Amino acid sequence: MKKEDTVKLISAEGMEFVIDKEAAMVSQTIRNMLTSPGGFAEAEHGEVTFPEISAVILEKICQYFYWSLQYSRFGFFIFYFLGSVSCFFYL
Amino acid sequence: MSNQKKRIFQIEAFKNRVVVDPKYAEKTWKILEHAIHEIYNHNASGLSFEELYRNAYNMVLHKFGEKLYSGLVTTMTAHLKEISKSIEAAQGDLFLEELNRKWNDHNKALQMIRDILMYMDRTYIPNTHKTPVHELGLSLWRDNIIHSGKIQSRLLSTLLELVHRERTGEVIDRGLMRNIVKMLMDLGSSVYQEDFEKPFLEVSAEFYRRESQKFIECYDCGDYLKKAEIRLNEEIERVTHYLDAKSEGKITNVVEKEMIANHMMRLVHMENSGLVNMLLNDKHGDLGRMYNLFRRVPNGLAMIRDVMTSHLRETGKQLVTDAERLKDPVEYVQRLLDEKEKYDGIISLAFSNDKTFQNALNSSFEYFINLNSRSPEFISLFVDDKLRKGLKGVSEEDVEIILDKVMMIFCYLQEKDVFEKYYKQHLAKRLLSGKTVSDDAERSLIVKLKTACGYQYTSKLEGMLTDMKTSQDTMQGFCSSHPELTDGPTLVVQVLTTGSWPTQPSITCHLPFEMSALCEKFRSYYLGIHTGRRLSWQTNMGTADIKAIFGKGQKHELNVSTYQMCILMLFNNADRLSYKEIEQVTAIPASDLKRCLQSMACVKGKNVLRKEPMSKDIGEDDSFFVNEKFASKFYKVKVGTVVAQKESEPEKQETRQRVEEDRKPQIEAAVVRIMKSRKVLDHNNIIAEVTKQLQSRFLANPTEIKKRIESLIEREFLERDNSDRKMYRYLA
Repeated sequence: MKKEDTVKLISAEGMEFVIDKEAAMVSQTIRNMLTSPGGFAEAEHGEVTFPEISAVILEKICQYFYWSLQYSRFGFFIFYFLGSVSCFFYL
Repeated sequence: MSNQKKRIFQIEAFKNRVVVDPKYAEKTWKILEHAIHEIYNHNASGLSFEELYRNAYNMVLHKFGEKLYSGLVTTMTAHLKEISKSIEAAQGDLFLEELNRKWNDHNKALQMIRDILMYMDRTYIPNTHKTPVHELGLSLWRDNIIHSGKIQSRLLSTLLELVHRERTGEVIDRGLMRNIVKMLMDLGSSVYQEDFEKPFLEVSAEFYRRESQKFIECYDCGDYLKKAEIRLNEEIERVTHYLDAKSEGKITNVVEKEMIANHMMRLVHMENSGLVNMLLNDKHGDLGRMYNLFRRVPNGLAMIRDVMTSHLRETGKQLVTDAERLKDPVEYVQRLLDEKEKYDGIISLAFSNDKTFQNALNSSFEYFINLNSRSPEFISLFVDDKLRKGLKGVSEEDVEIILDKVMMIFCYLQEKDVFEKYYKQHLAKRLLSGKTVSDDAERSLIVKLKTACGYQYTSKLEGMLTDMKTSQDTMQGFCSSHPELTDGPTLVVQVLTTGSWPTQPSITCHLPFEMSALCEKFRSYYLGIHTGRRLSWQTNMGTADIKAIFGKGQKHELNVSTYQMCILMLFNNADRLSYKEIEQVTAIPASDLKRCLQSMACVKGKNVLRKEPMSKDIGEDDSFFVNEKFASKFYKVKVGTVVAQKESEPEKQETRQRVEEDRKPQIEAAVVRIMKSRKVLDHNNIIAEVTKQLQSRFLANPTEIKKRIESLIEREFLERDNSDRKMYRYLA
């Protein structure tokens, strides 16, 4: 993975998750962060810090991103995925 | 029984750690306010999006949305007021540039702010029905900048100034204009219209009013139209480059109104350069331009059409009543054809084949062609001339073209039956004297007439052509069955069916002995083949070729009419004959006899006879001799063959009378036809129906129709209704 194609998501504990930009952009919020004009710090450094999201949650979120990219066509499978998440309660 | 109270299990919702810090809202807001300041000061690079987003999110979540929103409004307004001051301070030409730059900055900042406040935009605002952030930013801009006292008027005047400069030929910064105008459009269509478009249209109207006034004084029609067209295209171009597309229709209306509609009348009627002048000189370019420009204004085309129609009718009327021209029918018709071609050209090249113009053309031609009641006769004469010699050597397609053109003029005639009568006469003369240039051309024209007027019209004409063909075959049969006749005079007979050919009452004259013997032989031959038929010799329509030897031994072959042949043959047996003697022996009718003698004795170059006394007219006491001194350059001399001529007055009267007579049975037939199907009909309706039915042949006169109806009532084909005098009933 090239550096330009990736972003770093940092959890509250400081755990860093390096994922593809494309995956991260599944989230509209992250997409806005990275594409907003005016040069916010996140876009400049390619890092987004989430001081209120724990590593466990953030890990699941990253998995979700990749899963979404893969199966974005099949809308009803999302229920299958949600069923397997045990601590999905804070987003 | 247990007396213990059961503890009811309650599941409580997971509670977030509530932040009870009272100053929480204030603190969070301060962070955001600071961020907005930084954004407007182009200092955003140090900020963390995530932090700001989270703060805004938390504020809304903890029910501080109101504070966030109002704080946003206040902060933005404050910034905009500062910006407004800096724009006002800009000098001269830099004003627009400064405005443009600040507008771009504001847009960028607005987007950033909207991104970080996205959560509020999506939840708080829809719930409280407040204006979304982006819209809010635009309306604040509008209120504080565009509608601020100093800027509003200055902006408008600057924009109008630039447009005016461009109209007077200067080059302006179109990109800048486009951006500013786009800004106005983004702020709302009402802003664009009120703050720019309306004043723009007013100023433009004023500008073009003045300019058109100036132009109309110094330019002639053609040049003025060129200028108007240029201005119009300029405005359209301006719209595509830097105005809202919806303005195109409005500004073109302004130009059209000021430059064209207001001066339409004056332009069309301009001396020496107006519409009439253009028509006369075939100025297709100018006419086309006028058509395209006038098409855009109400009644523009109607005005052109009306002027063209009245001009055409005027010229047409002059054409048909010009005494000079009436002397030569061929020339007359040729001029009509030329005129038609000219206007067809104009309509197809300049007026893009507009149907309404074509109709105006047709109605005008119909009007003036029928002003002259001799038009049918002249057209027939024109065709006659062409089919005799005019089309010699012309290729087949060209023949078709000429005939088609004549047919177009023919269709304008109202009295088509008059034409038919003359055409029959002329055709008969052509066929019998063998003078037609091409049989195919004759047939082709008859086919065209059939297409235009129906089978009835041309059945007799076709009959005439068939007769000629049949006669040829008959002659062949006659010659082959009488081989002994190869010595002696040759006889060529055309057998004419009585109904088809125009009849003239004729008395058979006395033929010379050699001829009458031959004629009898033919008669018995023919009646042997066709029983039940009657033949009568039409001696007034024949021709003869005679070989003559004169006093000094000159030999000539004379081509003469049958009457003339009879007269000349008499001189084989006598040197001197008086008028009375000739009349008695030949039994030729007096008027014809006088004409024949005149053409043989009084016409220079054809005077095979000498007359005493040497007067121009033939008198009852004149005597005739063979002209021994007759001389001619040619061996073959043609003496006064019957040629189709413009009729003299009495002849014309006679033909017209015959036409009127023919019309009576046609009207009656039409009336009977209509009444048979309708059974009962009132007077006005009958007149209308009859006129409509006979339209293709002639224009029926209501008085004449009434007379015919009376006649039919007398003959008990119809009866009047007892109660209503105006109703008629059909009697079976």
